[in-house]
Amino acid sequence: MDAARALARRSFADGRVRNLSFAVLFALIALVQAVGYEHTYPTVAERLQFARSFGENKAIRLFYGVPHDLVHVGGYVAWRVGGTLSIFAAVWGLFAAVRALRSEEDAGRQELVLAGILSRRGAFRAALAGVAAGAALLWLATWLGLLAGSLAPGPSAYLALAVVSVCVVFAAVGALVCQLAPTRRLALGWGMVVFAVALTLRIVADTAGSMEWLRWASPLGWAEEMRPFTGAQSAVLLLPAAATALLLLVSSRIAERRDVGTGVFSSSDTAAPRLRLLSSPTALALRSERGTLTGWLVGVGVFAVIVGLLADTFNSANVSQSLREQLHRLGGASLVTPSGALGFYFLIFAFVISLFACAQLSAARHEESESRLETLFSLPVSRRAWLGGRLALAAATALVLSLVAGVLAWAGAVSQGTDAALPDLLEAGLNCMPPTLLFLGASTLAFALAPRATAGIAYGLVSVAFCWYLFGALLGAPAWTLDLSPFQHVGLVPAQSMKLPEALAMLTIGAASTAAGLLIFERRDMIGA
Amino acid sequence: MSTSRSKNVIRAEGLTKRYGNTLALDGLNLEIGTGEVYGFLGPNGAGKTTTIRLLLGLHRPTSGRASLFDLDAWRAPVAAHRRVAYVAGEPFLWPALTGAETFEYLARLHGGADVAYRGTLVERFKLDADKRVRALSKGNRQKVQLIAALASRADLLILDEPTSGLDPLMEVAFRESVHEAKERGQTVFLSSHILSEVEALCDRVGILSAGRLVDEGTLAELRHLSASTVEVTFEGAAPQLPELDGVRLAPVGENALRFEVGGSLRPLLAILAKQPVVAMTSREPSLEEIFLHHYDHSSDGRS
Repeated sequence: MDAARALARRSFADGRVRNLSFAVLFALIALVQAVGYEHTYPTVAERLQFARSFGENKAIRLFYGVPHDLVHVGGYVAWRVGGTLSIFAAVWGLFAAVRALRSEEDAGRQELVLAGILSRRGAFRAALAGVAAGAALLWLATWLGLLAGSLAPGPSAYLALAVVSVCVVFAAVGALVCQLAPTRRLALGWGMVVFAVALTLRIVADTAGSMEWLRWASPLGWAEEMRPFTGAQSAVLLLPAAATALLLLVSSRIAERRDVGTGVFSSSDTAAPRLRLLSSPTALALRSERGTLTGWLVGVGVFAVIVGLLADTFNSANVSQSLREQLHRLGGASLVTPSGALGFYFLIFAFVISLFACAQLSAARHEESESRLETLFSLPVSRRAWLGGRLALAAATALVLSLVAGVLAWAGAVSQGTDAALPDLLEAGLNCMPPTLLFLGASTLAFALAPRATAGIAYGLVSVAFCWYLFGALLGAPAWTLDLSPFQHVGLVPAQSMKLPEALAMLTIGAASTAAGLLIFERRDMIGA
Repeated sequence: MSTSRSKNVIRAEGLTKRYGNTLALDGLNLEIGTGEVYGFLGPNGAGKTTTIRLLLGLHRPTSGRASLFDLDAWRAPVAAHRRVAYVAGEPFLWPALTGAETFEYLARLHGGADVAYRGTLVERFKLDADKRVRALSKGNRQKVQLIAALASRADLLILDEPTSGLDPLMEVAFRESVHEAKERGQTVFLSSHILSEVEALCDRVGILSAGRLVDEGTLAELRHLSASTVEVTFEGAAPQLPELDGVRLAPVGENALRFEVGGSLRPLLAILAKQPVVAMTSREPSLEEIFLHHYDHSSDGRS
């Protein structure tokens, strides 16, 4: 049993940076929503007005789900915190399970473990125990965040449980895809598809009035149906519990039977040579990343269409000027018109496409940590050409993502008769590029200076900057600290016009840090895992 | 013998590399000429791979310099690498590509390959080139790297323990291929643990220990500097002999003695001439003995 405990501990320790970052994020979001609501809507009259104008708004439901009570702080927090955190929780659960169950295996280390005294079942359970410990940490962090926001302990614990139920189900989904898929990458890809379907089902259920029953088909919907703070239905907990148990049972059975290092669906190990896209490292990067790039494209595209379709539901008729100002402080900008809503959602696209830039540098670092760069740079390939090519590919793909978001949001909007012009939405798309290129530059600098911490620094910077933009004002932070977030300087196109001087400043800083990163990368040692 | 070669393919002057507090390479000097097959020996952690990383410009020297074809290894790596092919000790390749796709990719990056010879090598090493790299064993990945490097017909082959993971049959194929490279006038820098391989292939050998080159020369030169072994059997019990400079003595049995002789055999023979000697054998030290000799002397310094 000692071996199992050691393995579980290692599985938990492997993800400690990610676990801690998510725990802090969960606690902060829980705290900020509670404090922000009390602060922004101190009186019942204001809360009623807010509920009237926003409770029925579909574009807001897209992200947060259906609100059941917007007049009390508990109901509001359950809606906002439950809605956002369950999405994060799903992604966390999936990544944590795939990391624990498959990354080790693909690196060949699982053979060492199984050559020892642990059985397949024992190793499977121990790896998942590490994930479960991480989930418990997230539950605790959320609960503490809510308590710090002066919410009642009991219902807070239940809300935290609703959030964590999603991450447990998706960890179980991760466990299953790890058994099915031939490689770690594909396991993650298939898991992300399941997540995307679950999210889409919830969004359709919450926004298309007649299809509410679809909520029962999605683990994200189950978390909503638990209704923390608004007439808890704790029997719903049986659904995630049963789903998790079933998924884990099946996964465990397969794990006991399959060959280590392959899945139930094994990919063919032999193939006739395909010689396209082998002419340069950049071409090969495009070749090997095309699955991932397609995933990003489809994901951004689908959400752009949904955002476009729903933009029309914003109606300024019954929103007072004072409420608009308060909304602005809540980070919702001028959410009260279709173009205001689109402007806000395009800021979210700017955030997502910035994350895409981070993912590209993270992939570049992966090439180095796997020591393939040693093979590459023993050939007549210059470091500048390699990194420059990768960055150019990242920037070009980010541009495609931005424009696709613009075009599809426009298509969605005009299909509903919303007044939207294509040039405006293309501009909204292009407006995502300055922050993206800024973060691409910052990530490049991180990769050059602290290669082992590339992903942590890159994702950390983008997430902190975005959260600070959303929540900093709610906490009453001084204006100059808010200005530190680049997202503060992104114009809310199409509601506002592009902030050109700020955009140029971001592009300049981005270009300068990219150049500095390239120069430093040319001068440093290659550093393995 | 090889010091008179005109052109330096590899040159290192006072090459030093420090990682934090660890001195991985300490003032290495190397000169390797065109067409030479140079064996680079050393225990684990002696600095062999560090040397290669510095030669390839993957890491930056703390002091000193390295050059390939008179091009600075750190400042002008791309120009130098047009004439170099490298086989890493661990095969780091692209898991999703097949062997054939890997050959194509590496050849395009290198600027061409001898496709006919590559076919010969694929046959010789019995590689299934349609298999994806991720499905290949370590030995087979090593073959992919080796074939790509050999087929590039590069002027300089830098091989870092190229046969680790290869079976004895493939070892034979490897030696054959290195002989072919040598016949074509290619220069080979072979870092290895396998002493018989180095003995069979190399013109010159350098022994690295704790980051320093402790010995270098042709095999004949190394043997000359090291002790030869003389075993003598006497009629009756072995006699008491006077101590001689440079001769170490070890009893073997009742009536036999073994001598490790550092320099000339003459003083020993002079003494033995007066003794009742029944049989005497003498042999040169193997490379293994030379290597172990240096290794013993350095292993107390660093682990």
